[in-house]
Amino acid sequence: MNKKLICTLMAGTLLVGTVTGCGSSSEGDSSAKGTELELFSSKAENKDILQKLVDKFNETHEDVTIKITAPADAGTVLKTRMAKNDMPDIVAMGGDNNYTEVESAGMLVDLSNENYISNIQESYLQMVYDVNKDKEEKVYGVPYATNASGVIYNVDKFKEYGIEIPKTWDEFIDVLEKLQDAGEQPLLMTYKDAWTSNCPWNSIASDLAPESFNDDRKAGKTTFVGTHEEISEKYLKLLDYAQDDFMGLTYDDGNKAFSNGEAAMIINGNWAVNQYKNANTDINVDMFAFPASNDESQNYVTSGVDVLLGVCKDSANEEVAKEFVSFMLEPENAKMYIDDQFAFSAVKGVEQENETVAGVKEDIAAGKVANFPDHYYPSGFDMSALLTEMCLNYTNGMDNEENINQFLAQCDEKYDIANVD
Amino acid sequence: MKNKAPRKKPAVNRVYYIYVGILAVLFFTFHTIPFLKGVLYSFTDWRGYGEWNFVGLRNYIHMFSDVDTGNAYLFTFKFAVITTILVNVISLILACALNAKIKFKNTIKAFYFLPYMLGSLIVGFIFNYIFANLIPQLGKGIGIKALSVNILGTNHAIWGIVAVSLWIGCAFNTLIYIAGLQSIDTDVYEAADLDGATGFKRFSKITFPLLAPSFTINMVLSAKGYLMVYDQIMAMTEGGPGTSTTSIAVLIYKKGFGGGQFAYQSANAVMLFVVVVLISVFQLRILEKREEKLG
Repeated sequence: MNKKLICTLMAGTLLVGTVTGCGSSSEGDSSAKGTELELFSSKAENKDILQKLVDKFNETHEDVTIKITAPADAGTVLKTRMAKNDMPDIVAMGGDNNYTEVESAGMLVDLSNENYISNIQESYLQMVYDVNKDKEEKVYGVPYATNASGVIYNVDKFKEYGIEIPKTWDEFIDVLEKLQDAGEQPLLMTYKDAWTSNCPWNSIASDLAPESFNDDRKAGKTTFVGTHEEISEKYLKLLDYAQDDFMGLTYDDGNKAFSNGEAAMIINGNWAVNQYKNANTDINVDMFAFPASNDESQNYVTSGVDVLLGVCKDSANEEVAKEFVSFMLEPENAKMYIDDQFAFSAVKGVEQENETVAGVKEDIAAGKVANFPDHYYPSGFDMSALLTEMCLNYTNGMDNEENINQFLAQCDEKYDIANVD
Repeated sequence: MKNKAPRKKPAVNRVYYIYVGILAVLFFTFHTIPFLKGVLYSFTDWRGYGEWNFVGLRNYIHMFSDVDTGNAYLFTFKFAVITTILVNVISLILACALNAKIKFKNTIKAFYFLPYMLGSLIVGFIFNYIFANLIPQLGKGIGIKALSVNILGTNHAIWGIVAVSLWIGCAFNTLIYIAGLQSIDTDVYEAADLDGATGFKRFSKITFPLLAPSFTINMVLSAKGYLMVYDQIMAMTEGGPGTSTTSIAVLIYKKGFGGGQFAYQSANAVMLFVVVVLISVFQLRILEKREEKLG
């Protein structure tokens, strides 16, 4: 009897499990009670502000429910869902190689003929075209918010030592030396989270790499070896000014340490600024373009499309989804978004006025921006793993020249493996 | 009369067949079919979505020239060997101690079993904090340079992961050893006492041989588990620094889903399955032979 009971219970639970399993998966398709849409965001940081905007949208669209999904490791999740043919209705994602994967699989609707496109800054539209398959000049993703990466500095410390904002590489090194001599920690690095090792690389490479490098590399006409030596040298030079345990410090802990004034500078992006503010409301920070070159005109602000909006094909509610995208791009709403995120807007005339990023505002408005080089690398190419490996070799005391040669050879090798269409 | 008797014989209730049938169908649909599909995809060039073609054995051949896969196998074997040995040694010592007539035995057992109830992701995150903050502070305090940095950011990251895996893994292994120890007849020990076998001699000549079945289970299960190590690594280093702690399971996940190499990594997964099965069978053969000899 007992055994029977147990068997029945087990079979019962299993059956219930499968039945409820089916139930939840078909829920998305039913549109009986109003329209339900899913907005997939690849940035966990913007979930709150998106929710606010969705609520605002709902004031005028009462019958529409928009559910926001913002999982960790969103790029992978989205690709997995693409494999299952279970796409959301609207995507809000970076203009990077994850976007290319989604776009080239033909998952997004062409929005080129929508009214709001004429109100978007051309430089950012161009960045999205550049990551489209075959560089097709069609708007499958509308640039929404943009970011800026460079050197974030503690304003009070710069004042204390009377330091001017460095405009060239030599000036930058002087500043680092001066801070070190004064007993300050010049640079804080958080390479335990490998993605942060990309930040200095992106800034240096966007200033110094040959202009057509990304196209030529893709076509196999050039290599990292022979073009990226100076970039790697400067990258390693920075490590001389980093704290001792730079390979063991996480992004979160590093942000807290920086907010508490434990270092003068950190190389990261505007997305990190509200983390500092959260940890210490009194911190005074600003940002300047990374001066990788001694030719001032070459020192761009690294800026890319941080969030673009796309409408998925085969969405049952394409019209509502389009309406939502258009709502998001209204200047008032775009402003609300960038104010919350310390970001910049791709919508013309919507400016970021916050002083924490004032140092790069002019360059951005003037279009002195260069996109993140890693947005152009193939998606299987894990630059941060290669960079942290080079840094690990550095901490083990390997000779810089040998280290760089090995690193660049690895770059080419791994790039070729990943560069398949 | 003769015919009636065998007809009565199948007294097994039909309900059992129904239950087994249902479970078999469920298992087949949700376990066997996905597995077979994975094997099928390993012969294609599928990226996880879109169109695909059969490419024969290309994925499997490519594996032998792929440095990443080679390094991942090296790391995984190194990790599995170290951890399997250490976890069994420590568990055995713990089990013997906990089986002795000490006070608060059950309370202590409960404490040792606690880590097993926590998910290894949570344990990983907790230790992440310990390695990043507490240990470096301690190291700086007592002036040992090697301890003053986060071990997970150095060449020795593997030892951090080994330590955490031991912390989680010992609980289960200790439990099996305790169960084994309790099944040993006390008469045997009495006889040993009379013959003058005590201390280490008693352990090596009596306790350990009689623990053979538990030893077999623990060796096979822990080797299998550590060859497929995944969650501790994802929680602590995500395979870094560089790729120095990328195990095969981590590589499969990262490159398969994140890097658009779904088919190739399916082949890798099939390969890992074969390797784990071979090693387990090999271990069972040797260890069971040993059991027979001792039995």
